[in-house]
Amino acid sequence: MKFNYLRKAVSLAMAISMTAALFTACGSQNSTDSSASSAQSTTSSSAGSSVSANKDPLGKYDPAIDISFVRGIDDDLAANILPKTPGETLEDNRWTKLYKDELGINVNYAWTVKGNETSDAYLQKINVTLASGELPDVVLVNPSQLKQLVDSEMVEDMTQYYNDYASEQLKQYMSVEGTGNIDSVTFDGKMMAIPETVAMNEGTQYLWIRNDWLKKLNLQPPKAMDDVLKIAEAFTTKDPDGNGKNDTFGLPVTKDLYSGCMGTEGFFAGYHAYPNMWVEDGSGKLVWGSTLPETKVALQKLADMYKSGQIDKEFGVKDGGKVAETVIAGKFGLDYGAQWNPMYPLISNYNNDKNADWTAYPIVSADDKKVMVPNKFNQTRIFAVKKGYKNPEALVKLFNMHIEKNWGKTADFNKYYMPVENGAVGVWKFSPVCPSPVFKNLDAFIAIDDARKANDFSTLTGEPKVIQANIEAYEKGDDTMWGWMKIYGKDGAFRSMVDYKNNDQLLKEKFTGAPTKTMAEKKTTLDKMEKEVFIKIIMGSVAIDEFDKFVSDWNKLGGADMTKEVNEWYDSVKSK
Amino acid sequence: MKNLNIKKQLPLHLMILPGFILLLVFSYLPMAGIVIAFQKFIPAKGLFGHQKWIGLDNFKYVLDLPNFGSVIWNTISIAVMKIILGLVIPIIFAILINEVTSNALKRGVQTLIYLPHFLSWVVLGGILIDILSPSGGIVNGLLKSIGIEPIFFLGDNKWFPTTMVLTETWKEFGYGTIIYLAAITGIDPSLYEAARIDGANRWKQTLNITLPGMKMVIVLLMVLSLGNLLNAGFDQIFNLYSPPVYQSGDILDTFVYRIGLLDAQYGVATAVGLFKSVVSFTLISVSYFCAYKFADYRIF
Repeated sequence: MKFNYLRKAVSLAMAISMTAALFTACGSQNSTDSSASSAQSTTSSSAGSSVSANKDPLGKYDPAIDISFVRGIDDDLAANILPKTPGETLEDNRWTKLYKDELGINVNYAWTVKGNETSDAYLQKINVTLASGELPDVVLVNPSQLKQLVDSEMVEDMTQYYNDYASEQLKQYMSVEGTGNIDSVTFDGKMMAIPETVAMNEGTQYLWIRNDWLKKLNLQPPKAMDDVLKIAEAFTTKDPDGNGKNDTFGLPVTKDLYSGCMGTEGFFAGYHAYPNMWVEDGSGKLVWGSTLPETKVALQKLADMYKSGQIDKEFGVKDGGKVAETVIAGKFGLDYGAQWNPMYPLISNYNNDKNADWTAYPIVSADDKKVMVPNKFNQTRIFAVKKGYKNPEALVKLFNMHIEKNWGKTADFNKYYMPVENGAVGVWKFSPVCPSPVFKNLDAFIAIDDARKANDFSTLTGEPKVIQANIEAYEKGDDTMWGWMKIYGKDGAFRSMVDYKNNDQLLKEKFTGAPTKTMAEKKTTLDKMEKEVFIKIIMGSVAIDEFDKFVSDWNKLGGADMTKEVNEWYDSVKSK
Repeated sequence: MKNLNIKKQLPLHLMILPGFILLLVFSYLPMAGIVIAFQKFIPAKGLFGHQKWIGLDNFKYVLDLPNFGSVIWNTISIAVMKIILGLVIPIIFAILINEVTSNALKRGVQTLIYLPHFLSWVVLGGILIDILSPSGGIVNGLLKSIGIEPIFFLGDNKWFPTTMVLTETWKEFGYGTIIYLAAITGIDPSLYEAARIDGANRWKQTLNITLPGMKMVIVLLMVLSLGNLLNAGFDQIFNLYSPPVYQSGDILDTFVYRIGLLDAQYGVATAVGLFKSVVSFTLISVSYFCAYKFADYRIF
């Protein structure tokens, strides 16, 4: 009997403690949340106490103010920059110190997450933050998230702050490639956030060719699309790798079709087709490039290449990673891609085969009409200020300071951008905001090239100096620096970029606004349909005339509405 | 008397409490989110913010989307095939394994067929793309050696659904087998003894003792699996499908993924989710009723 009581008592105690444990687990969660939010509210109230009457772009706050951000920590920062900068942390480093000492702004983070701002981890976390309404002082968002914030009136109108406080240099960087940057954050004529400068020209495609294969098969670099087709055919059928097997292909294509490496945009552009972006038709109206008749012509060419085995029979199921494996394994000698392709994936091919002499050539035209190089507008870094934050102009000052210390009069590039003593890692990422000149890479190439012509590299400073050191390291036998030589070297990719720019060949995407209503609802569905139809056409499982049906379906299923909205937007910015 | 029982069992009842609270917090409270299906939901305004009520517009929107019919068809056809194979294959396997007398072999086979269950589809997806490749894959290599033209399993609309069903069955049948084996172990050995004395051979014993002995478990799993009629397996299809096979491989879950997570149209995605839940609930109820009516089987 006594024993029974004991057993009962023990089990009762267990049941109670289990329940209690559950409640405390939830409870402690709640208490940390509330302490965090109370900390936040004290932050914003203390921020209000400091006054800054002057409109100096780099004016200092006294007493200092606080500003909270959220951010993703990308692989470069976690695995490369932090380990090589002993003594510095995300919260306490040369940039936060600079902001504190020179601007009187204390930067802190409400939360951080592993992965950059386009990673799933960041997107999920930021979506939760937006849904909870507990915003930090500044949020880093993409265009559709900004639209949500603006629609629910949660962010400050930045127009006046930008006009009053932005430095001349910042304003110049913002507008050098047109009004796209400002337009992308403008709602009803009001600038609702500060975007980081998008370098559209960095998406420029080149035709990367293995020179060693060209030489082996006695071919010349292409002058026109017909030459490209001939080279692709020869690379497929004439055993360029000399292994006696018929195992090479002409052109690498992924199931995503459009891509910064192993892409097709440069191929399409050869036929004056610009799929996957908004371009002007002859009459000044915007149209979706994928629906134009030129696209059909290029698709037919790709279908012909697929039929004759120049495109991998299985490309339709392979993503970029899978196709890159075949490129690395030495199955391809052509590649339409951006300037950074030697860094990925081409260098891995070079590591396997030191003869792989990938060289960038300008893309070519199918006829005597000038070939235009598509530059898509892809904005992923927009900074919006929480409504009610007392010093919205502080964000603009951070932008000013970042530019000033890297490219301004008081620039200290070696300290704030890529310090040589820390292994030239990009410490600029320590700053929560990282605006940069959009043509900085091209300018670096031009500076290096001028020095090369004058045979005097001592004049180089800043980024070009670091790059030139990498090129010299390659020339002295450091194979890991191969990519720098391929991009900035004597025959580097940017050589073609200089020509593209001088000949006015860069075709910029014309729609840079926030997603329109129909776009937000239908775009992914339409994109999916587009890829499905295009890939089926290339694979020959449907006839080329399916393209015409695609165009009418596309218009019927929301494309026409989307085009109308895009043009309304276009008219509104043109009339400004 | 009754009173006394409750008093005695009170601690036991209390022990259910944590589980009950977890269920309440994570399964019942979130049901409040169903309202999103009827709203033009803007996440930034929050769950309790001022969302616009639009009634059934989200449902209408989904029905108007192109290909929604084929998405439903793909989902049901793939799921039905998966349910059938997922029931039949493990039963056959459990009976076969049960007949194996060598304990080492029995355990070895059991472990081997159970293993794929622990691999995620992200990993298996990469492996399958290589194994099933028409140019260098091992499967097509075998087919070629017996004179069959290579088949593009993952890129051909004729083959894609079948491939999905077979690979899913291959991955999961080991798990089902274990459940059925457990059911077989629970059968009274004296029944077999009696049957042997009556002169029943192995086949007759299987037919008249093993199968009827497993009946309850089979019915239970059948009832539960009918709730999956609209679950064709997101992980698997998402990792294996591609534009050429959207036509035969796009299912409700991949559809919801694109609308809900990529387009952030939470209202529409919730509407589809609610639709799925209602259908699944109806099916489970009906099959439970049938099981009670025809097999005299009941859980409660």
